[in-house]
Amino acid sequence: MSLLTVSAVTKQFGPHVGVSSVSFELDAGDSAVIVGANGAGKTTLIRMLASLSRPTEGDILLDGEPVIGNADARSRIGVVGHDTMLYDELTARENLKLHARLHGVPESRGEQLLQTVGLATRGSDRVDGFSHGMQKRVSLARALLHDPDLLLFDEPYSGLDQASLQRITEVLATLEDKTVIATTHDLERGYHLADYVLFLYRGQLVEQAETTEFDDVTELIERYDKHCRLGDGQTTPGVSPTGTTPTTVDGGGE
Amino acid sequence: MRGRYFRTIYEIARKDLIVETRSKQTINAAFVFAFLIIVVFSFVFGERVEDRDILARGALWLAVVFGGAVGLSHAVALEGQNEAIEGLLLAPVDRSAIYLGKVISAAILIGFISLLSLFFVGIFLGYAFEADSLLLLALVVPLVAIGFSAVGVLLSMLMLHSPLQESLLPVLLIPLVIPVILSGTALTQVDIATANAFEWLQILLVYDLLVLIVGWMTFEYVVEE
Repeated sequence: MSLLTVSAVTKQFGPHVGVSSVSFELDAGDSAVIVGANGAGKTTLIRMLASLSRPTEGDILLDGEPVIGNADARSRIGVVGHDTMLYDELTARENLKLHARLHGVPESRGEQLLQTVGLATRGSDRVDGFSHGMQKRVSLARALLHDPDLLLFDEPYSGLDQASLQRITEVLATLEDKTVIATTHDLERGYHLADYVLFLYRGQLVEQAETTEFDDVTELIERYDKHCRLGDGQTTPGVSPTGTTPTTVDGGGE
Repeated sequence: MRGRYFRTIYEIARKDLIVETRSKQTINAAFVFAFLIIVVFSFVFGERVEDRDILARGALWLAVVFGGAVGLSHAVALEGQNEAIEGLLLAPVDRSAIYLGKVISAAILIGFISLLSLFFVGIFLGYAFEADSLLLLALVVPLVAIGFSAVGVLLSMLMLHSPLQESLLPVLLIPLVIPVILSGTALTQVDIATANAFEWLQILLVYDLLVLIVGWMTFEYVVEE
């Protein structure tokens, strides 16, 4: 049985369809990146997988158990979101201690993870004094506290300084036994991180491909352009995920 | 299992109070509001109203209600910073425990705002509550604070991401806590008869229980998208 089963999941916000009938399965240890233009539904999908948002239709199962409204399932999921989910007024250590207590894991786990993310010497500092990259590293430590089976990352590389980018990439590389799903616009890093690529276009999963299908990242970018960009048929210049200027733009704003 | 539930309540309330003692957002906002209300009362009615009991109690409850509403809105807004609330919602705990923890911390803050208001009434209106009035207040204020917080936390969570949260919360909250305000004011009247006091106390207790149960049952759906 797959670790994660997503069946015909749809999310509507009034008349707007954020995610439309998305289905896929991942086994334990698999990793996937969800790619798509802004507004394609990546964050909405991640939020449903994290149990922060209830699907309008469809099921999300973790080892056969529903994720939504299930505290046991939450104990097996770790999430690093757009926002850090940290309290500015608490120190890095206090933030981790709070979450360790809520997850019922020893507080020493927080110390160990501060070391892992390279912030052991800054544990007693309030997180509002940290750079965005450092806050994201504390957030990563928070997500790993309870040693989850499924890790969800929403744009893990966005807005990071070089040191944080390197540290987070190193930590992600050590999570081979975990099932990891990440949304990203950074196709190059996504290509090296994942076993599968899920192409989302206007809320629909248009293709699930194995990264081994692509000889190099250029092929992945071509497929991305085919599914997620050129499909719009728009011709206004925008910024491509690789930094070049394409001839079409991303869908909307998420 | 039950131990974990109560531990979660404790952790959330403790965290809220630590965050508040460092940010002082709630207390500062409520302090200014309570101070202004009582000072204005003192200037406008100070020399004209002969019944000092009515003046002092009116000023006290106005300061508590409006100071509490402003304070609550600030207290819950802290959860919106960095979407910290989502970190709590991801924890494998019963989400109703998060609600109860937040109600307790908000009630403690409202209790503190009441103490501040009592102090201001003494200073600016020159009114000293008698010992038995203070004893009654010691019973009534926690009950009022619980009812107020039980509704306030739920409403402010509903409006957490609304840009109108600060202005909208008092408008929606105050009509919903009218039973609490009426009971509080009635129970602190100087000449209230014992039978009447008992009835108002019953109303306050039933209301508190009712809103706590509603909040406890619905919080999970309120915080979910």
